[in-house]
Amino acid sequence: MRVPFSYLERQFKQSENLEEKKELADTIIDDIRDFLKTSEFTLGSKVEAFEKKFAAFIGVKHAIGVGSGTDALILSLRALGIGAGDEVITCAETFIATAGAIAGVGATPVFVDVNDEFTIDENLIEGAITEKTKAIMPIFFTGNCPNMDAILDIAHKHKLHVVEDSCCGIDARIKDKKAGSMGITGTFSFHPLKNLNVWSDGGMVTTNSDDVAHKLKLLRNHGLANRDEVECFGYNSRLDALQAVVALRMIDDVTEVTNQRIANAKRLDEAFKDLSDFIEIPYRNPDYRNVFHLYMLRVKKRDELLEYCHQHEIEAKVHYPIELPYQNCCKHLGYKKGDFPKAERDRDSIITLPCHQCLTEAEINHMIETIRSFYINEHSALCGLSSTASDH
Amino acid sequence: MSTVPYVDLVLQHQTIKDDILKAIDKILSNGDFILGHEVSVFEEQLAKYCGTRFALGVNSGTDALFLALKAYDIGEGDEVIIPPNSFLATASAVIAARAKPVYVDIRSDLNIDPSLIEEKITKRTKAIIPVHLTGKAADMAPILKIAKKHRLKVFEDAAQAIGAEYKGQKVGSFGHVGCFSMHPLKTLNACGDGGAITLNDEKIYNKLKQLRNIGLKNRNESEIWGYNSRLDTIQAAILNIKLKYLDSWNDKRRFLAEIYSQGLKDIVAVPYENKYECQVYHTFVIQTPYRDELQKYLESHQIGSKIHYPIPIHMQPAAKRFGYAFGHFPVTEQSVQEVLSLPIHQDLEPEQVKHVIEKIHVFFKNKDRL
Repeated sequence: MRVPFSYLERQFKQSENLEEKKELADTIIDDIRDFLKTSEFTLGSKVEAFEKKFAAFIGVKHAIGVGSGTDALILSLRALGIGAGDEVITCAETFIATAGAIAGVGATPVFVDVNDEFTIDENLIEGAITEKTKAIMPIFFTGNCPNMDAILDIAHKHKLHVVEDSCCGIDARIKDKKAGSMGITGTFSFHPLKNLNVWSDGGMVTTNSDDVAHKLKLLRNHGLANRDEVECFGYNSRLDALQAVVALRMIDDVTEVTNQRIANAKRLDEAFKDLSDFIEIPYRNPDYRNVFHLYMLRVKKRDELLEYCHQHEIEAKVHYPIELPYQNCCKHLGYKKGDFPKAERDRDSIITLPCHQCLTEAEINHMIETIRSFYINEHSALCGLSSTASDH
Repeated sequence: MSTVPYVDLVLQHQTIKDDILKAIDKILSNGDFILGHEVSVFEEQLAKYCGTRFALGVNSGTDALFLALKAYDIGEGDEVIIPPNSFLATASAVIAARAKPVYVDIRSDLNIDPSLIEEKITKRTKAIIPVHLTGKAADMAPILKIAKKHRLKVFEDAAQAIGAEYKGQKVGSFGHVGCFSMHPLKTLNACGDGGAITLNDEKIYNKLKQLRNIGLKNRNESEIWGYNSRLDTIQAAILNIKLKYLDSWNDKRRFLAEIYSQGLKDIVAVPYENKYECQVYHTFVIQTPYRDELQKYLESHQIGSKIHYPIPIHMQPAAKRFGYAFGHFPVTEQSVQEVLSLPIHQDLEPEQVKHVIEKIHVFFKNKDRL
């Protein structure tokens, strides 16, 4: 039985048990038909309507639609005046785009090691602050929440901005505060593999600051104060109106999608908890609403398990097999092996299992059984033997 | 005769709406949203159309210029020569790459004056961005000669000129790269932002592929810092539908431009086409000292018109820090007072053009009487 990592092949496709989703796709196609009649293709009422709805969803004053999550980060930094000569602290374990955005504005990414829950280790942040530090960029990596209270305290003490990379954390919460509502800006991606997805690239910046919102609106649209006047040099990074049409429907589903992911994650957690010799389930903080954009575990014999999963058509993945600070693009930053012990440990032990909202009961069961049998039947004996062998 | 709007995107999409919806439905059914099959098809078609080895879909025309600069490592401390009368994105791409735009005045045809380029070249100059404004190719022969002599890169800003020819060759195929915009108001237009880069250099092509896709060489490895600037698969599908019509649309624009030119040449300055050129009239720009009154008059007769562009880039508030002042670029500054873009697009009918011509004649007749 195949267990696909991505839900895209199902999300809008008709099949017996997904009739409802086909209806959603049809509704959106109808919306697009109407949209084509308006020819309002650049920003305009659809983008504004989605921005308003999204701001209300996150609980912030402003939401500004941009080209992508990457651009949301870049424009946030630009709006805060961060650029060449400045440093921005972020986590060593994330998608390349987080650090790419920092480098993209000419600033230097400064990495801090990850904690056991795949977010920045807040205890290491102060040690990384220099005179050049201008901002901290915590990441809601895997959909889990960084320790925002501690991070905001540090930022306050050192007069730093906090730009939330909440691209993976849509609908994530710390108590009653949503991801993207705590820093000076929150940044979101609506890439097709995000929990709120459109049909191409798309992104959003959230903020409570009128001033930052004003700057972002200029920066995403060539710095144009009006058709003819340029207040500042900017970029072209606008959320496509067509994608805003899609997003206006998809946002109604996001809480349901997220709840389903959380429920799937819970089942997997339950199913593996007695295998603690082999599988380390990260601590699930009851104050955090982890939205499981990625369901990641640390496991023993990771490469073998990955191979075994693939043999059994379970599309497990590794996010990511190369630590970000050791990528070629980071060479100029001068990091060396040993600088990020936890990220290095994760590189060899993390595995990401399918956890999306379109998984069937049978697929989840197949995944659980396969992984359990890998450790129980094939490897418990072997692991026992090898540990005995190494004891001698 | 009723209203003549400056553009009519609604009319344009009426006939192809069903094709577009069908294409979107197909993309939905396989979830092929990011750099999907339609993007590759568009890239192949565009390269073939422009006569280059490669084409690469990106997020916008601005990004096409920006990424081209990045691909050639042009940045901090470098200078790039551009005309001051383009859409400001030509300059903002240079500034976003942290290089400095150096302006060179234009000729009366609104394109960069090649005879003024050399005096602006310094040790820091790395590239020239000639803009094919209005759909007319810049004078590429002398520009390429200067570039070769001084070892400068040439990035064609062909945002307004897809399909235009110069000495039998299509724009986008002259420089190191050609940069295109598929913004909704362009002749080949997406229903959202879109752009493309055309080029022949395989090494730069491979670098651009990484630059537009977050620096990713493959799923896991990042060789260089990159950006997220991908042409949407859905927009590519829409462009594939439209590309088939591009030549006929350009022909229609040329046909209408000829009617305008014949009808207006005695009372205003009209675009001039050299024998070795094929202009595509993204805009049809007349020049007259009575521009403001004429625009008001046309407006009162429900005829749309635009000014491209009322404030030259070097005079924008954003450009203050570069220290330019009025008087630095006399041709540009004069044209800014006189240019007026008349309605021209593939869905406009000759009768409508004749109506506009008639009204302009009436305007000048009335004016003379005063």
